Amino acid sequence: MAALIYRPEYAGYDFGPEHPFTPARLAMLLDLIHTLGHATSPIAAPPATREEILTIHDEAYVAMVEALDHGGSRPEAEQFGLGTPDNPIFPGMDLAARWLVGGTLHGARLLMEGAETRVLQLGGGLHHAQKNRAAGFCMYNDLAVAIRAMVRHGWRVAYLDIDLHHGDGVQSLFYDSDQVLTISLHETGHYLYPGTGHIQELGAGTARGLSVNIPLEPFTESESYLEAFDAVVPRALEWFSPHVLVVQAGADAHFADPLGDLALTTQAFQALYGRILDLAADHTQGRALFTLGGGYEAQVVARVWTILYLTLMDLPIPERLPDAWLDRWRDLLGPEVGRTLHDPVPAYPELPGREERNRRNGDVVARLVDSLFRYWM
Amino acid sequence: MLVKEMMRRPVTVVSAEATIGEAYQLLQDRGFRHLPVVDRGRLVGVLTDRDLRLATSSLCQHPRPAGDPVSAVMSSPPLTADPLDPVEDAARIMREHKIGCLPVVDGMELVGILTGMDLLDALMILTGVTKPSSRLEVALADRPGELARLTAFLAERHVNIHSILTYPSPEAVRTVLRVDSNQIRPLADELRQAEFEVLWPIQKPWQH
Repeated sequence: MAALIYRPEYAGYDFGPEHPFTPARLAMLLDLIHTLGHATSPIAAPPATREEILTIHDEAYVAMVEALDHGGSRPEAEQFGLGTPDNPIFPGMDLAARWLVGGTLHGARLLMEGAETRVLQLGGGLHHAQKNRAAGFCMYNDLAVAIRAMVRHGWRVAYLDIDLHHGDGVQSLFYDSDQVLTISLHETGHYLYPGTGHIQELGAGTARGLSVNIPLEPFTESESYLEAFDAVVPRALEWFSPHVLVVQAGADAHFADPLGDLALTTQAFQALYGRILDLAADHTQGRALFTLGGGYEAQVVARVWTILYLTLMDLPIPERLPDAWLDRWRDLLGPEVGRTLHDPVPAYPELPGREERNRRNGDVVARLVDSLFRYWM
Repeated sequence: MLVKEMMRRPVTVVSAEATIGEAYQLLQDRGFRHLPVVDRGRLVGVLTDRDLRLATSSLCQHPRPAGDPVSAVMSSPPLTADPLDPVEDAARIMREHKIGCLPVVDGMELVGILTGMDLLDALMILTGVTKPSSRLEVALADRPGELARLTAFLAERHVNIHSILTYPSPEAVRTVLRVDSNQIRPLADELRQAEFEVLWPIQKPWQH
């Protein structure tokens, strides 16, 4: 069983109707969970305070967010990554972002107090946000604030990022911290945003070998993805022996996601969640904090994250999607949604070039493991 | 981009009368590979770690002792750059002569040094990879106004371009952009609708 953290205020983190990071995804997800017959009683966490945000972000940046929040435009905004198509300015954005950070941080607190061992924060996962700027839909880095608090508590923290995109913000914030292991699986940054996450990014100073990146070929499918995961993640955790696992569970590596090119199915996500829980049981006495993240196809994220919820709650996973839910969200779901929680098998037409892609992924993993071993010995 | 924007300064130099032992220590301590050599304030050569290693190697017939002067093993006369040279010109000179650095001279004064590493920095800045960005590749017809049509298209959508590079290929002018956006798939779809040939991101096989 996991503790669930959520607040209606999360819907306030809204960049407008044209933006892919829409809070409607959350409403749809919660409604699906409820319609499947599971009443949720989420914990209402407080928003993060300004001081808590400042454990990660620069004062000048936070001051800029606050100033824009009060209205008016500023020419310097774009230097802080704000007012761009990715990170538009909206009234109330400072507090909206602090609600999300507060939830993730509260999850960390529950783990540190020993009140819970497994927490699901239905929001957050803003892994691109940097010390001094917003990036890739992410204003404040909730993951980093929570990780910082756990490091101050004396814990070694393993961060695992299965979002389509490289977890660049979290990586760079802890690049030289020997208390934090960051592992990111993502579509290669040769083309995709943010352009980083190469196998050569291994951490700095005493933290060399604690930054682990698994960049995968565009159109990588479930089998190759899971193979790469199995070749690296268990060994990394075994070696680092963390107190807690923080998981950014973005759903945009799904094949139907409009922003990316990885080709995971719902079945692969379910297998991943199972593996992650097993790893937490083996290495962190079960202690794990999950957040959401990217995922931009409405009918996909609702299904994938419902599977995440059911898995973390140790609930059975049904096959049928409820008709009432399909009717209520018809407009958002579009014609692509089927009648099952899982993708059909096969989920999409065969992709040419599979053998070559898998070989290249295998090569990348072999080279990564090769360079990590010398630091892990 | 000019040499003066990418060069390092101030420059650490060594005197022509210094011994190669002293120069070796300096290279070791500072982590350098190149030392401009000066004689009474005037640039007279460049000493590289390779010059030193070759001259003193035990594999040489007559390895030089540590007490020999720098002037005996340095490369001279040195090739130099002007601070106002474009970096691509400096790159061409270094490539043609297969050398690792150019001392930068303004009039008679040594004002900086440009190394191969600085050119890699220049390449990263020019290609836009130093900032979070996505890579968009478009094939443009080789005629006036095509690039303008592309950039106007991006400007209308308020997409900031970190860098833009074009190079000729037999069929078209390949144009690589690094843009400050996480949303290049939808952008690529719109570009295709506007009849641009987008090379990356490619369409998904199941996309309608």
